[in-house]
Order: sequence, then structure tokens, then C-alpha cells
Amino acid sequence: MQLNHKGSIATALAGATCALLGQSPAHADTDSSVLKDWKFDTAILYYGETDRVSLAESVISATKTNNDDSIFNVKLVLDTLTGASANGAVPQPAVQTFSRPSGKDSYQVAAGETPLDDTFRDTRVQVASSWMQPFAETWRGTAGINVSREYDYMSLGVNGLLEKDLFQRNTTLSAGLSYQFDSIDPVGGKPTPLSSMLIPSDNSDADEDTGQYSKNGSDNKTTMDLLFGVTQVINRRMLMQFNYGLSVVDGYTTDPYKVLSVIDANGVTQDIIYENRPDTRTRHSFFWQTKYALDSGVADVSYRFATDDWDINSHTIDSRLRFNLSDRSYIQPHFRYYQQSAADFYQPFVNQSAPLPMYASADYRVGEMTAYTVGLKYGRELDNGHEWAVRAEYYQQDPKNAGFDQPGVLADLDLYPSVKAVILQFNYHF
Amino acid sequence: MKRKALYVSVLIALSQLGGCASLGVQPWERDLLAKDEMELGAEGIDLGLDDHIYFSKEATSGGRSFAGGGCGCN
Amino acid sequence: MAEHLQPAALPPVKISPKEGFFLGEFDAMASPCELLIETQETHIARSITALAAREATRIEHKFSRYRPDSVVSHINCANGATVEIDEETYRLLNFADTCFSLSNGLFDVTAGVLRKAWRFDGSDNVPEESTVTPLLANIGWQRTQLTENHFTLPPGMEIDLGGIGKEYAVDKVAGSIKARHPGISTVVNFGGDIQVTERRRLDKPWLIGIENPVLASDASTIVKIYQGGLATSGDARRFLLKNGKRYSHILNPFTGYPVENPPRSVTVAADNCTQAGLIATLSMLQGAQAKSFLTSQRVTHWIYD
Repeated sequence: MQLNHKGSIATALAGATCALLGQSPAHADTDSSVLKDWKFDTAILYYGETDRVSLAESVISATKTNNDDSIFNVKLVLDTLTGASANGAVPQPAVQTFSRPSGKDSYQVAAGETPLDDTFRDTRVQVASSWMQPFAETWRGTAGINVSREYDYMSLGVNGLLEKDLFQRNTTLSAGLSYQFDSIDPVGGKPTPLSSMLIPSDNSDADEDTGQYSKNGSDNKTTMDLLFGVTQVINRRMLMQFNYGLSVVDGYTTDPYKVLSVIDANGVTQDIIYENRPDTRTRHSFFWQTKYALDSGVADVSYRFATDDWDINSHTIDSRLRFNLSDRSYIQPHFRYYQQSAADFYQPFVNQSAPLPMYASADYRVGEMTAYTVGLKYGRELDNGHEWAVRAEYYQQDPKNAGFDQPGVLADLDLYPSVKAVILQFNYHF
Repeated sequence: MKRKALYVSVLIALSQLGGCASLGVQPWERDLLAKDEMELGAEGIDLGLDDHIYFSKEATSGGRSFAGGGCGCN
Repeated sequence: MAEHLQPAALPPVKISPKEGFFLGEFDAMASPCELLIETQETHIARSITALAAREATRIEHKFSRYRPDSVVSHINCANGATVEIDEETYRLLNFADTCFSLSNGLFDVTAGVLRKAWRFDGSDNVPEESTVTPLLANIGWQRTQLTENHFTLPPGMEIDLGGIGKEYAVDKVAGSIKARHPGISTVVNFGGDIQVTERRRLDKPWLIGIENPVLASDASTIVKIYQGGLATSGDARRFLLKNGKRYSHILNPFTGYPVENPPRSVTVAADNCTQAGLIATLSMLQGAQAKSFLTSQRVTHWIYD
């Protein structure tokens, strides 16, 4: 007595009810979804660079849709970072010694190797919460707060977004404002900009005073973001969004753990000094995204151009192409390309003979670089309506020489090594 | 010559834009747009994690949403 | 016959303004009937509610087994004689025939005779096998004869369109409203069987609570529906309980006994209410396999065990 015609009964009934009700075949656009009390999105992510940093991050996000269509969301993020990252100094043909951020210990870097500071070990906890409230038929307001805390860093933020639907919801205008206050309390204190990094001597009783004199206290910065957006439905399959964003950072933008090598005409390091960045940064970003519904899948392409008064211009192309393998599973290749120009104060090292600039950083992340990501995601819906997905990606950063000479011993050394990372992620939605 | 070709194609693109005065769809044509995967912020968890990675490894952040701060990684 | 039916008296209707829509109410088909009408105009709300009440009452009078002047009573009392039927009756019986074949005989509108043995009143009154078995002889849709104008039911047999009628009424009412008042999205809700006539202005969803028989009666799951139908099949109050065993009111026409271990309640979403109702009922007839049946049919559904 089993009904075995899988999937066919609903289809046959659809035809039979059309005959019964004297209607033309019904369009299969029934669209209903449950507002379960709560929906949960969880994910764990592993990010690992070859020989450098690795990051384990877990996210749990809970969303409640209320009967008036307002939405409450709370999100908790926990991550743990370990490993080494480039401290900004150039490699040398001889062993180099660097002070640890605490100032009380040192580490050595082998000849020819990019200097990496292996001290990094940090745990970050972030909580963010938001409330979206629809009102007056075509308006939505969202207010959010977020707090994040790590060993040497604390961040507090508030944000608001106002959205207005026009033309039967075919156009949506949005305007948002976000204010973020960050305070940093560097390990061992904030170094004096462009001062020498002192190497603690083996004679440990001399450390207390001499090792600390160039470092003191903590600092902070504020970030104000303005965001204006237009979302437009183009046709039954296509949707487009355009955003303009203005971001103004004011305060301590320097990385207290990054240094520069001071070299002589032969490229030999004479001194190591702490970096210094301007205390304001104003950025404009233009973001365009298009989504296109395929017969069984979705194409999603976005492009971002950003320009700022540090002279960093960047272009980002991000695309995801979802192919539905069945009603309940899909694969999604991901490709991302990123390219940035160098900040005007970026230099891979400081020449001993040249006057000391006011601002300098050898952090490759503000230098010229290209980066790409390729990845694949597979997702599946279970019988109970839960969904899971796995994602594997490869991310490579290729820092570029923005036109600097490599004198003497530096000529044969790699000042711009690529950074290669893998990203693995597992998602579960219920 | 090349410039002229570009100029012509831009003109054509503009006139096509003007031609479809009725951008958008009627409410009953939203069957495809209504799918979860067609939401602009679909896969929000992935986008959030990506933002965190690229925020800490590159000099540009935001665009899609607020650039923000909130992380001592850059 | 339809033309001999007395014009049905209209039940009292009530309309009341709500936030952004009107609520229209009346009683028909032994259920509370509700309409959510997206309009600010009192006269439109009243006109739509009256239209719905008129159509619902017409269908109830025509097809109710309990009304001696109904088409169904006429067929059941024909004692084996061939009865002339109109086009609407033919379409309903033809639909019953389709459901019978699709379900391999599990959905049978002639199984109503089992009611002579079973009364699902929450008691422990489980009938003797000697009462049930003889009734099986009077079940079997395949023994009826249906043509476009005539229907023949063997003597002793009865038909009961209760498993189709209410959902059919919901869809017919929704169809009339859509034809007479296009552009005004209306939810037709007859005791939990629901059809939305068309999408709302501004494309907002209607939010509808479906009863969860397991939780307290006021705790319902809220469903967001833009368009289409919803129907629920369940035994919230219709069951027997004897020696700790629960007897569902879903009867297997081959054994005469309740289906084993069906879910307490199943709600299905589909293009129209009739389709949703049938899928919900067919899934209950699968007993413990209801869940896998619904999954294989790829329909949006909610199950409460």
C-alpha cells in the first residue's frame, strides 16, 4: 500500500486540482516559510598560512523574526590566533635579533629569512546585536551595537541604518551611520614612533629601565562610517545594488608591533625602528553588486573601488556562482581578485643616509599587492530542514615592489614574499 | 578610431537603458527573486568571516557594509 | 438535484477593521470562517465577506452528507439507482477518483460507512472486530460508475465528500473573490484550511498561525505566506484512547482500523488549498511513514508527532 511514485503525487494532484477548480495550471510560486521562534547559523573556520599565522574562529548567530516582521539578531564570535607574522624588517644575509613586544625577551631570525615575530597568540570575543523594525509600510530602521575584546584591544560600536522601499519594492534606498571606538593597550606599551627597537641584553638586570623608555601607555582611534545605497530590481531574474561609503578614521592607526629596518648603502641593517602612520585616514568606497537567478543557480558578482588619502587605491572583484545539483544541494565556486597600490608613506626600509620621514611603514599590507582567492563550497539541506555546508579556499597574497631599489646585500633577497593560506569552513543552519 | 567605437557603444548602452523605462517587476513576478539565495546578504556568516580575514590582511575594508574597526588585526 | 435545492440562508457575517486590513467572519461547514481582506474600505470588506459566505453556504448545502436535500444525500439514498449529476458534482467525483488511484485505494470517499462503528469522541470506545469487518463489504470506490452526467453507487454503499469539501470551498471562495475583486489580496481561512487569493500590495507576506497540537493551544507556529494555500490534517480532538493506545481518526479502508502511528498533525503548503489538503491527508494515511512521504513529495510542510 506504499505510495511509491516519488514526487509524482504532488504533481499529479496539482493537475487534478486545476481540473477541479476550473483554473489554468497554477504557477508553482507558492512561497511560504516558517518563522520558527529562533533560527541559528553556526560556523567554524580554520585559516592557516604556510609557516605563519593560523586562526580558528567560531560563530553562532541567532535570529528571531517577530510577528510584526521585526527581526532581532545576536551574534557571538570567538577566535584564537597563533603563529608568526612579518614584523616589517627586511631579511639579511646574517642572523638578526629582535626584541619581543614585551621588551623583556628576544628572538632570532635566520639568515635570508623574512623576519617573523612568533609572539602572536590572542583570543578575541565579539558580541554584536541588532534590531530591525519595519514601519509605515515601506520603511525599515535597524539599530545595532557591537563589543569586541582581545588581550590588547577593545572595541565598541553603534550603528544605524534606514531603508525606504519605492515603486512596489523594486527600488530600495538606504542610508547608514556607524561609529566605532577602538582602544589599544599594546603589550609592553605603545612604542615612540620611529624610535629604535632596543634589544634586551643577556644581562637581564639592565632590562627594566632601558627596555621600556621608548614605550608607554595605550591609545585609541575612532571610525565614522557613512553609507548610502540603492538597490534596484532590474527584472524577474536580476537585482543590483550600488553603495557609496565614506569612512573617516581619527586616532592611532599605527601597528605598535611593526618595525622598519634602517639600512646603509650596502643594504646592511644598522637599526630597527618602530613604524608611524598618519593619525587620520579618509576613504571613499564604491561598491556594485549584481545577482542573477539562473534556471538552477545564482550568479553573484561584485566590484569595489576604494580610494583614500593615504594614496591607497584598491580594486576588488568577487564572484560566486551557485549551481544547484538537486533541490537540496549545490556547489558554488568562488573567485576573488584584489589589487591595491601602496600608501604614500610605505617603504620597505629606511635609508640611513636619507632624512627620517614623518610617517613610515614597511607593513606589506599597506604596500602594493595583488591577492586572489579561489574556493569551492558544497551545501546540502537535510530532511529536517537543517542545512550544512563546507567550504575550502586558497588565498594568496603577492606583495609587489612599488619601485624601490634593493641596494647591496638586499639585491639577492626576497623582500616581497608571497603569503599563502588555506581556508576551511563548516556551516550548520537550524 | 578606437575612441569612436567606445563612444558609439556607450551611446547604445545609454539608449538601451532609456528604452527599458519600466525597470522592476510586478509582485507576482517575484518567484525567483524571493529565493533565499537571491538575497544580497545571503550567506551572511561567510561574508562576515571573509570580511574579518580580508580586513586583517588587506588595506581596504567595507563597501558592502560598514568598514568599521573592531579588530586589532590591522 | 442542484436545481431543486432551496436557496441557502446566509449565515450572519461580521466585519471589523484591523491594522491594515479588515477581518470578516461567519460560520459555515461546522467551522469558524475568517477572511483577512487587504482594504481600508468598509463596503468592499462587507461585499467580499458576503460573497464568501454565500459561496461557502452554497457548497455546504449542495455537498453536505448531513443535509437531506444535498446532492450527496440524493446519491446515498438512490439505493443502487443511477443518478443524474451536474458538472460541478462530476468534477468533484472525478477528483475523488483521481485521489483514489493516486493513493492506491487508501483515499476512498466510500470509506465513510466505517463511521457506523467508530466514534472519535476522545473516549475508550474501540469497536469490536465483529462490528468493523462486515462494513468492509460496503467500501470500494472501484465498484462505482462515473460518467460526465451519471453516477451509480451500489446499494449499501455511501459517499462522503468531507475529506475534500472544505478545501474545495476555500478554493472556490478564493477564486470568486479574485474574479470579482481583483487587486485586493484576501486570506480565506475556513477552520485552518487557507488560501491566499493573490499577493498583497507592496508584496508583504500574510502572517498566519498554525495550531500546534502538542503545545498549549495558544502557542502556534507563525507561517509567512505570500501566495498559495495551506491545509492541516490532524487529530487534535478526534481520537480514541484505550489501554494507553491512541486510535487516530484516520481509518484504513482496507482493514477498517485506524492507521498505525500517524503524526498528530501535518500542515502542507501548496499552490492551492485542495492540493495542500489532499497531500496532508495522504501523508496521514501513510502512518509512521508520513514524514518520508512528505519529504519525497518535495512540498513545504510542518509535522507534529
